[in-house]
Amino acid sequence: MSDQVLLTTSVGSFGKPDYLQKARNANARGKLGETELSALERKATEEWIRRQERLDLDILVDGEMYRGDMVAYFAERLEGFRIGGLVRSYGNRYYHKPIIASKVSRPKPMTVEWFSFTQSLTDRPVKGMLTGPYTLLDWSYNEAYRTRRDAALALAEVVRLEAEDLQHAGARYIQIDEPAIHARPEEIEIAIEAMGIVTQNLKAKTISHICYGDFAAIYPKVLELPVDQLDLAMHNYEYRWLSLFDKHPFTKELAIGVVDVHSHRLEAVEEAADGIRKGLRYVSADRLLPHPDCGLKTRTVEESEEKCRVVVEATKVVRKELARQATPA
Amino acid sequence: MKTTVIGAFPKISDEHQELRRALHRHDRGELDGEGLSGVLDDSTRWAMGELEWAGVDVVNDGQIRWDDLLAPFARAWDGCDRGPLERFYDNNTYFRQPVITGPITTEGTTLVRDFEFARGVARGQLKAAVCGPLTFATLAEDRYYRSLEDRTLAVADAIAAEIRGLGAAGADLVDIEEPALVAHPEHFALARAAVERLAAAGVPLALQAYFFPADPLLDALAAFPVAQVGIDVRSRETGVLEKLNALRQTVVLGVVDARNTRVETEAELVGLVEAALRQVPADYLWLAPTTGLEYLPHDVAVQKLKALVAAAHATGGVKA
Repeated sequence: MSDQVLLTTSVGSFGKPDYLQKARNANARGKLGETELSALERKATEEWIRRQERLDLDILVDGEMYRGDMVAYFAERLEGFRIGGLVRSYGNRYYHKPIIASKVSRPKPMTVEWFSFTQSLTDRPVKGMLTGPYTLLDWSYNEAYRTRRDAALALAEVVRLEAEDLQHAGARYIQIDEPAIHARPEEIEIAIEAMGIVTQNLKAKTISHICYGDFAAIYPKVLELPVDQLDLAMHNYEYRWLSLFDKHPFTKELAIGVVDVHSHRLEAVEEAADGIRKGLRYVSADRLLPHPDCGLKTRTVEESEEKCRVVVEATKVVRKELARQATPA
Repeated sequence: MKTTVIGAFPKISDEHQELRRALHRHDRGELDGEGLSGVLDDSTRWAMGELEWAGVDVVNDGQIRWDDLLAPFARAWDGCDRGPLERFYDNNTYFRQPVITGPITTEGTTLVRDFEFARGVARGQLKAAVCGPLTFATLAEDRYYRSLEDRTLAVADAIAAEIRGLGAAGADLVDIEEPALVAHPEHFALARAAVERLAAAGVPLALQAYFFPADPLLDALAAFPVAQVGIDVRSRETGVLEKLNALRQTVVLGVVDARNTRVETEAELVGLVEAALRQVPADYLWLAPTTGLEYLPHDVAVQKLKALVAAAHATGGVKA
């Protein structure tokens, strides 16, 4: 894999199998114990590792079989958070929006056991997967800190501890997602400062996923976010963000979304390949990583798998083209 | 001094989830459209009951049938489809982006059935609401009109038709929910031209601009042909509280933060209201949340309403 170009990956979450969804519902109603649920989460995680290997993805994820929401998962494990009542995010989708009720601290590691378990199942690298401090703040209610900056920097300290523990456990890739980073473009300095705290001691490759918002409003300033790789939804936006790179060259590795995650429609391999070719106009093949636009947790297992298959097959098509170009006729 | 609400109220609570279940059953084909409509009506009764129980003087229908601020219009209008999900301003809340594919037309009766239903439920004063033209125009994807100006004014004509429909059904106050005005203050002249078309419908209007500070626009807002202007003085750093005398309309003062769970103390609220009363006569001051309460869990939304009503009583507001 080491000399391979266009390494394929995914953003983090996959569809949960029916048996796990039922078990989670039963657990929520108090009808299934934590031990039984946890065993099924491990089974589903192992199945996803095998699927990713079969699909021939290069950099794997654990699929987040044990998480519901990317903020609530951490809020439930950090001191200082309280879980609030249901709030609607869109349509008929609701979530328990967390409340920062007092100063935050981390009693113990939150994701390291899952990382170690998942990495033990495969020789391919598995990404450590965290939610960034600015998004933890923006997707919670802040009752405890005087300013949003104070809250973001305090959250950065607990995320830093978690990221360093992941590195210690052997993570070679650590992804710290900031999908809320463009919620208030005037606050991007806060997001950059907070990320600087998280990544200051990391030698692992650092990644941040950004999606669903006005990326143009934070570009090129977002290039100052102290991570090695930005992971962007591109297909959903018809690759319009790429044209920003004409004026201000993109300076990081780019994980490029080449299939939509909120659509049942399966993209053709050629359509995804064309997305990769578009990316190659701006970022070299050793720094471009094809993947789906966002986490696939709203799709079924089968849809998640098919979307990833399209990404991998499209990548293989483009790799062949690159190899032909590199070989003189 | 009256109390009122803006925008949507929580559609469910942790205990009261009939609507959520009904929508799931409708998706799975287990509940027909009529059955779903009945649950939507029940939920509207419940939400309006909560508003009135909390003591709010002028209520709306809680917008229980609205997926988002733009949805009722994007669904109903000719020339408009619904596109992908997009983030709604700086919220972790998403809306379906309207896609304008041809000339927008409407018969102007989109909201009439729901208004008439709500009028049958309301025990006190009821107001209606529409999406602001600039907000709709700046959030839509446009494949037909040639400029933001053309698009905004075409949307304004359609909204004006809806307001005429509401007026004919008996509405005597309509909120224009226009966050784009404070999000993009550079377009205020266009927003005003659009609101002038709405005002021509002859129904008193309340311009509700929220999410962002109104400081750069206070003088401009005074020139809008509306009966009321909503001003958030609570959720962000703002100096507008000392400049409210620039306005000539009734001020709907956003005093409880509808996007944060911390419930304001009575002392905090009384301080804000007394400061406003130094600038605006009590007859020209209403109190409200800063935006729609649907950004809060239901239990906190109710606590915020109670705090709002208590503050009105403490500062001399008389229940209508």
